[in-house]
Amino acid sequence: MHEAHEALETYSKKDPVKVRFKAVGSAPIMKQNFYRITASNRFQAVIQFLRRELGWKAGDPLFTYINLAFSPAPDDTVSNLFKSFATDGHLIVNYSTTAAWG
Amino acid sequence: MSTPRHAPSAFSTPASTTLFRRLTWEGTVPLEVRVDSKELPANSDRGLECYYIQAPRVSYLPLLVPEIKRFLMDVVFDEAAARLIKEEDWWFESEEGHLLKWHWPIGLIYDNHTIMSSARLNSSATEPAPLRLILHLASPPTEKLLLSPSTEACKQAFMGQLKEADFLRWGNTKRMTGLRKAEQDGLWEGIKEHNFEEYWRVASKITPTTTPMRSHSPPPSSSASMHTRPPSADPGSNPGPDRDGAYNVRSVPVRIYLPDGPVLQDLVPTMLDDGVAHTLSIFLTTHLPLLFSSDREPLAYALVQGVMVPPEAEMAWLGACMAGADGWVNVCIGLIREENLRFR
Repeated sequence: MHEAHEALETYSKKDPVKVRFKAVGSAPIMKQNFYRITASNRFQAVIQFLRRELGWKAGDPLFTYINLAFSPAPDDTVSNLFKSFATDGHLIVNYSTTAAWG
Repeated sequence: MSTPRHAPSAFSTPASTTLFRRLTWEGTVPLEVRVDSKELPANSDRGLECYYIQAPRVSYLPLLVPEIKRFLMDVVFDEAAARLIKEEDWWFESEEGHLLKWHWPIGLIYDNHTIMSSARLNSSATEPAPLRLILHLASPPTEKLLLSPSTEACKQAFMGQLKEADFLRWGNTKRMTGLRKAEQDGLWEGIKEHNFEEYWRVASKITPTTTPMRSHSPPPSSSASMHTRPPSADPGSNPGPDRDGAYNVRSVPVRIYLPDGPVLQDLVPTMLDDGVAHTLSIFLTTHLPLLFSSDREPLAYALVQGVMVPPEAEMAWLGACMAGADGWVNVCIGLIREENLRFR
């Protein structure tokens, strides 16, 4: 049982992952687009991070998508999204003020 | 034996595919719902505050709320308390204090609880038992819940998961976005009404299918050549019979759930470089080599829809036949108890 628990410990990834934010439509473009985000972060944390960088309040509409295709579940981790959907070594997160592909 | 050739549709997939899809759909888990005793309003009938549900694995907690509310109003609460019920403040916890997610299918919540128990050093061998849920009526921890309890939010999350699965399989979401709004809504309606036909009427358009050519039943000796005939050369087959086939996807949508997390997700090709089909066994030794090593007995077991799937099951087949209604194959990993290891 201890060996199994030790094995489980190794499956939490900590290395940061490269994320590229891309504005959609009339959403403002950020000064810096590429960020390194801790792999174990939930997507919810990425959304909050984006809000802070854009200077938007909690109530302001903010819609996020991966590869212009879908909105991840808030508890999908950046690591998992990166492994499944990264292109050219980074995960593309699109952001918009209106629901586009929802 | 001649294999019938039909136009692709939910009703002409091989009988075994439909069978497993129906078995998955009909799977249920026992839940025991009990209001937190500290929150039971005064004058509640305390002898009756437990509600038992045999809930569909493919359903969601927000869809159970109306039924639970009716019970509480009819049986437990008095009139004054009933008037104060605010479903939007409801939230569920397991007995162990683990917060339950609104957007997780109920079957996943149940299996995740099973594997969490398996990793607890002091828990005894468990028989299938009702998952005991504590219902809280106020002060939801919204930060951690990530989603409001409304059925609308749950539906949006469900649609999002279908799109993510679609994108993983094909590199685009054309099959999902190609559905009319009424059809997309029909998927959720099928879940709400728990209607297999209603759900699969639409799901068959977006879910990869196994085709007669991919059936693994042994051929009678007279048609031994059937296996060597490539699909495109078969005169009776449909144009591009495997175009939407389970083995043609870029990646099967699969997630691994470990006791106490994390949740792992990665690309899962249907075939491997050496032309071998990607089986559950290979998948587990690749992603969890310390738990599933090829040169020793495994330290863990894998559950899909609550079942210990045989290790030779192919990932492509699991994606077509045993995925949840949201398109995802959820593999829950439990630890094998010391005492059981000895007898394997």
